[in-house]
Amino acid sequence: MEEALLRAVLFGTPILLASLGALLSERAGVVNLGVEGMMALSALAAFAVAQEAGPALGALAGVGVGVFLGLFLGVFAVSLRANQFVAGLALAALGLGASGLLGKRYEGVPLAHPLPEEGFALLALGLALALHYLLLGSRFGLYLRSVGENPKAADLFGVSVDGVRYLALALGGGMIGLAGAYLSLAYRPSWTDGMTSGLGWVAIALVILAGWQPLRAVLGAYFFGLLFFLQFRLQGSVPIPSEAFAAMPYLLVILVLALSGRARAPKALGQPFDRGR
Amino acid sequence: MRRILGLVLLALGLAWAQGDKLKACFIYVGPIGDAGWTYAHDQGRKKAEAALPWLETRYVESVPEAQALPVIDRFVREGCQVIFATSFGYMEAVLEAAKKYPNVIFAHATGIKRAPNVATYMADFYQVYYLNGLAAGALSKTGKVGYVAAFPIPEVKRHINAFTLGVRAVNPKAQVLVRWINAWYDPAKAREATEALLSQGADVFAFTEDTPTVIQTAAKKGAYSFGHYTPMLKFAPNHVVSGQIVHWEVIYTDFLKKVKEGVYTAKNLENVDYFWLLQHKAVEMGADYGVPINPKHVPLLQKAQMTVGGKKVSVYDRIMALMKDMQSPKPTFDPFTGPIQDRKGVVRIPAGKKATLQELLSMEWAAPGVVGDWPGEPK
Repeated sequence: MEEALLRAVLFGTPILLASLGALLSERAGVVNLGVEGMMALSALAAFAVAQEAGPALGALAGVGVGVFLGLFLGVFAVSLRANQFVAGLALAALGLGASGLLGKRYEGVPLAHPLPEEGFALLALGLALALHYLLLGSRFGLYLRSVGENPKAADLFGVSVDGVRYLALALGGGMIGLAGAYLSLAYRPSWTDGMTSGLGWVAIALVILAGWQPLRAVLGAYFFGLLFFLQFRLQGSVPIPSEAFAAMPYLLVILVLALSGRARAPKALGQPFDRGR
Repeated sequence: MRRILGLVLLALGLAWAQGDKLKACFIYVGPIGDAGWTYAHDQGRKKAEAALPWLETRYVESVPEAQALPVIDRFVREGCQVIFATSFGYMEAVLEAAKKYPNVIFAHATGIKRAPNVATYMADFYQVYYLNGLAAGALSKTGKVGYVAAFPIPEVKRHINAFTLGVRAVNPKAQVLVRWINAWYDPAKAREATEALLSQGADVFAFTEDTPTVIQTAAKKGAYSFGHYTPMLKFAPNHVVSGQIVHWEVIYTDFLKKVKEGVYTAKNLENVDYFWLLQHKAVEMGADYGVPINPKHVPLLQKAQMTVGGKKVSVYDRIMALMKDMQSPKPTFDPFTGPIQDRKGVVRIPAGKKATLQELLSMEWAAPGVVGDWPGEPK
């Protein structure tokens, strides 16, 4: 039982971190579908730097790459007012492809000094609480949410819509980068092409299922982690085929979060802001 | 006129240069860096190229099974004379392409269907799994050995069975707990499946999937493990006991030499099926190249005893003796020698008989000692 709860938290952590990152930018009105690619590149950067300069700098590098990629997405999704969905998908593909290409020489190499998973788990939980407070209890949170709900009104009140969106993408990108660093420095700990294995997409889905609420994202991520572990723990001891078990985490998380209350997306989500119109 | 002559000469020169070289092209299902299946094939390709000066190779990696045909089309356009398709799922594409290009030679890894210009090949590990099973049976204190497996297909089932027969030969009460992850490459699933097995008391691990995850996870809890496909000692130098290592280059070199010498043509491959084992040096038991058993674990295995034909012998000596026998040109020992019953008590291999190649390739039953879900288990 303790084992199951521990796995719930430790496997839920990368999903939670990435989810929080995507959630932050979505609350500011920017959809980020690039999470998977951002995680992959951050994981690679973290691993590469960790091998050369130690794991602490590696983790920082992961965060840094995440921030950079968040801002990079902002250039298209905010400044150029491109379709956010297309820009995000392109970033996902780019990140996965580029990480595979750049990471060749780090494949099949063990990490010299891994980081403890528990540290990341605590940090993720702290970030969720901080984000909850930031969004609901701070003046900046008010600005951020207003930009996500009604950017025109926010603009009239003197809030820099683009500025807030860039900031949200950068901070969110940092958290997504941390999720990548967790994978390559603590969870695996090694680097291979495609090592994010779809967790970025799970994180994006979780944002919606959690109703854009950081604390519900915590529950959702841990619940997913628990079920993911249980599919193997219970395999063979319950008369359910393993293929059906494999689908269980996805189905049950959707079910539970759907039943646990209604969610409303930020009103301006996915809409580029253009002051002229 | 002179220009035309020049062009003709150039064309002739090119044709001559081409004729001298043999161009072999490889389709990989995964990324080369997966440290598993595709990586091993690519090592084989490189070593064959280094050994055969007239060989020129090309490859495309991460080709989804549905995309194989366009890649083959491209290879043929680029002048590939021999095409190696390195995944079971490429079967339909290979057979279709073989009809389309009757002069191109195809070889399909793990394949089961051949044609005049399609050969099949496999470097199989079942003997090595058995030997590793002996070591696992000796090292497990809890009597529970964990096995993380990709897909419930005959190849994987054969390997789990061989491994389990080995475990049980040393410890007749031991269990091999099997968990399917239904993926060749999914580090997260491999990780959590290993965690699940650890929490159920497994203290020695083997696996069939394409990452070193099981080894890394087991080592964190001090559990022993056996590498798969490539040398994995470096991922846990204190805990990797041995493993299965492939040498695809042995098959690639042999096949390509015979193509070059004209022994194999696009018309006579109907019965060319490599199912190469220890005796062909296509596979190796080892924690690393040339290291059959991690020296750190040799004393433990020397101390461990097992009963063979009523006599006590050390597990280490037994492993070494059987390995030597199976590496010899005419092996006398085979793990699948009857009498063998499946875990439901049905006799699968009668006393005194060895499993036939067909029986090995279509194995669906589970050996006694295998615990867990077993899709496709015969009634």
